[in-house]
Amino acid sequence: MPDLEEQLEALSQAIDWPPTPNVRVVLPIHREVSGAARRWVRWVPAMAAAAAILVVATLLAYTPTRDAIAGWLDLHTTIHRTPQLPSPSPHPSGPLGKRLGLGDATTLAQAQSEVAWPIWVPASLGRPDEVYVLVPPYGPSGGEVTLVYAERPGIKVSGQTGVSILITEARGKVNEQFFGKTLGPGTTLENVSVNGHAGWWISGQPHTFVITDANGNPYFGTLRLATNTLVFDDNGTVVRIEGDMTKDQALKIASSI
Amino acid sequence: MEGRPTDDSSLVSRAQRGDEAAYEEIVQLYQQVAFRTAYVITGSAADAEDAAQEGFVKAYRAIGRFRPGAPLRPWLLRIVANEARNRVRSSGRRHQLELRLSEGFRPGDAAQSPEAVAVASDERRRLLAMVSALGEEDRLVIASRYLLELNGEETAAALGIPEGTVKSRLSRALDRLRSRVQEATDA
Repeated sequence: MPDLEEQLEALSQAIDWPPTPNVRVVLPIHREVSGAARRWVRWVPAMAAAAAILVVATLLAYTPTRDAIAGWLDLHTTIHRTPQLPSPSPHPSGPLGKRLGLGDATTLAQAQSEVAWPIWVPASLGRPDEVYVLVPPYGPSGGEVTLVYAERPGIKVSGQTGVSILITEARGKVNEQFFGKTLGPGTTLENVSVNGHAGWWISGQPHTFVITDANGNPYFGTLRLATNTLVFDDNGTVVRIEGDMTKDQALKIASSI
Repeated sequence: MEGRPTDDSSLVSRAQRGDEAAYEEIVQLYQQVAFRTAYVITGSAADAEDAAQEGFVKAYRAIGRFRPGAPLRPWLLRIVANEARNRVRSSGRRHQLELRLSEGFRPGDAAQSPEAVAVASDERRRLLAMVSALGEEDRLVIASRYLLELNGEETAAALGIPEGTVKSRLSRALDRLRSRVQEATDA
């Protein structure tokens, strides 16, 4: 009788595998990039190919939004447009960090010891009320830190997050994605500049927000509604400022980082 | 035979220069092994199809960073297998892997009697059932090496572990499978 390894080798020829589907990779479709993204692509030609390809990836990756128009900026963030927002996951109960998928509660000093990059604290807001940290494999490869400001004058507590302002800072490898956003018809998207760094201002109707792994796949249960948000790059750190605030307020906070 | 390294080099080089036909050729060459690898991981043909689809799109996006001269197959398998694992993780469920023997398969010695062929088929079926019933870690490493016929580097890429770990894991998995075969024989 043949030995076990020989029997296993023989098995490979005898298996009735499911039929291999014809994998279709739809290659760049520039015409489907939104107007804002198209303008951006013209400004930064080197990013055009990456943007177009990511549009394809996002269109294919999310079945409910395959017809959506998507745009992408090198902010480790995928942004989709869709006629109808997907339903967010029910918020888990428990503390803020768990409800919003922010990670473990910590202190600023402790968070700083867990990431290799400098955590930026906006001077206009001062020290945060709470700090959360996410490290791999549950966050971006460079780590993610969220500063929570429970209440701040002039910025009401958001019905989506339960706090005034969330500031999330994250780092990862080039092309690694951390955040996914899906925008409905009532949400506007415009590109902005923060201290010379490129960014997006997303405002209007709440949009959905999801934390993704390095491959851009959403982490289970992290899909939630988000309110107005400014996302920008600060020398390799992606900064995300979320709250019921105006664009000017968000830009002022960002400029004080 | 799937793509040879020299062909791969040329195709990758063309794809890196934006030749879409070259990338489509890469997909054609590797979609079968990619899909089957994803199937072994997810246990679902639908999930495996999605994982292969998404994996090839992501690989296209990343092809500019592919190191010239490096083997393409493990690189692709790593991306597709990651997609497959992510699907299992995000859905929170793993389907039971159900591998079957091909009905029309008539292996080995043509002079074998019908009874001998039937016995051999039955033995294969039982062995396959035992492989399917192994713990996840054992099943994946055995399926990768023997059923998908991946080499050590490809198995390491598909499982997301170092190549050295493949050897030790495979050795332990074979020991456990051997024990189960022995128990079944003795019973």
